[in-house]
Amino acid sequence: MSVTGLLFSGHSSCTRADTVVDRGIRRLPVLVTLFVLCAFAFFLPQPAQAQSPIPNAVPPTDTYSGPRVEQPIEFPHDVHVEQNGINCMYCHTYARRSKVAGIPPTSKCMGCHLVIATDKPRIQKLTEYWEKREPPPWNKVHDLPDFVHFNHEKHIDRFVLGNDFPVERVKEVCAFCHGEVKNMTVAEKSRPLTMGFCQRCHQANEGPFDCWKCHK
Amino acid sequence: MSLQNIIENWSSYRKGAEQGGHHNYEHLWGMVIDLNKCTGCGACVTACYAENNLAVVGHEKYSRNLGMNWLRIERYWDEPDLGEESVAEYQHHGASFLPMHCQHCSSATCEPVCPVAATYHTPDGLNAQVYNRCVGSRYCSNNCPYRLRYFNFYSYYEESWPAPLHMQLNPDLTVRDKGVMEKCTFCVQRIRTAKDTARRERRKVRDGEFTTACAQTCPTSAMTFGDLLTLHTPGGGVGETEAASLWKKHQVELGKSRQQKQNPELRGYRVFEGLNTDPRVLFLERVREV
Repeated sequence: MSVTGLLFSGHSSCTRADTVVDRGIRRLPVLVTLFVLCAFAFFLPQPAQAQSPIPNAVPPTDTYSGPRVEQPIEFPHDVHVEQNGINCMYCHTYARRSKVAGIPPTSKCMGCHLVIATDKPRIQKLTEYWEKREPPPWNKVHDLPDFVHFNHEKHIDRFVLGNDFPVERVKEVCAFCHGEVKNMTVAEKSRPLTMGFCQRCHQANEGPFDCWKCHK
Repeated sequence: MSLQNIIENWSSYRKGAEQGGHHNYEHLWGMVIDLNKCTGCGACVTACYAENNLAVVGHEKYSRNLGMNWLRIERYWDEPDLGEESVAEYQHHGASFLPMHCQHCSSATCEPVCPVAATYHTPDGLNAQVYNRCVGSRYCSNNCPYRLRYFNFYSYYEESWPAPLHMQLNPDLTVRDKGVMEKCTFCVQRIRTAKDTARRERRKVRDGEFTTACAQTCPTSAMTFGDLLTLHTPGGGVGETEAASLWKKHQVELGKSRQQKQNPELRGYRVFEGLNTDPRVLFLERVREV
């Protein structure tokens, strides 16, 4: 009764109380089902936002699997991105303003890891490098040939900053070429990054098609 | 411009300069070289070597015409007057210098002969050479009337930049290897950087914002680099640049194989203009006392 009463309290076209109750009782099973469904949907984790597509963009679909590049420290991207929700551009800070995305300086790592998770073996290894005043010798994963010119800034501008796309979701744009880094520990190359791969994406997204835009 | 585009638009691609060419230009980079100011010092050549990772081939290979200098200073000596003139007066007249780099012809003779379309015209009006597409047929070099294309007959990397010297290489450019044709690019890496900066700041490239390495180094500012698009399509590009105004001042028009000048004192000329290549480099004749 309380549910139906609440639902029909604003129903002004009905004048007599018994009619209201009648209608309410007849509709009760439907309403209860709806209510339960809504409640269920409310308490579920919401993947709807992440699935809304990126405007004005056709993401590439090619995949690649090659040898894994070993790193001095097994940096867990998944812990940082997926569990802690850190933006890609917090560490790869030059992506939006220069050709290269950049590897963060060790001081940026230590900004958090002086206090966070200092007992973990990877962090202790990082602290060793920090105390030796040496950067960890990271190995390059996404390596383009020397005759190719790729500009991160322009791509971020095209798909995120100049596209009314929230910067918080930039990882979906990064995933165009870098794959689902949020699910990886050490970053792996999961797109072919060949000329055909670039060209198909440029064709689909109306990018420039001049040889000298990319070749130098 | 992809290979497909070239194949599809082949008939218009072969159109000569006098029919207006085939290009929808965004820019039309060009140059003016004032030979009155040129002293033949060769600073531009050195600057080009430093900027564009040009290989130093050594004395022996250079004397066999294997030098890789994209910009060379040609010297022309006056005919000695064997009449009443003395030797001293001949020396006083001296040499004339002509800095020659790729003329970036609008209807370039090198472009249609390339079997793999490694050389083509960019929307910036540059005569481009795509090194990784080049197969080294050398047709382009043989078809260039200016002889301004240089072929890597050897791999110069080891001998040209031994151990610590490889640190001086410009990372914005490829180091070309054996079997690849190369040429002046009008410092395309600088053009690219300037255009990227302009795009970031949501504006057009400004005149004088950047210049080529040779023009930057020239101690007498004999070279003026700039956008000539206003000469091709009025009101386009960067607007009236210094270089374009010099072209106008000397009444040299693009897309012509013969200029009609009203004033005989105007000094502008283009090298081998009669071949209808429509070069993009204007030379201002040297004036001398007789």
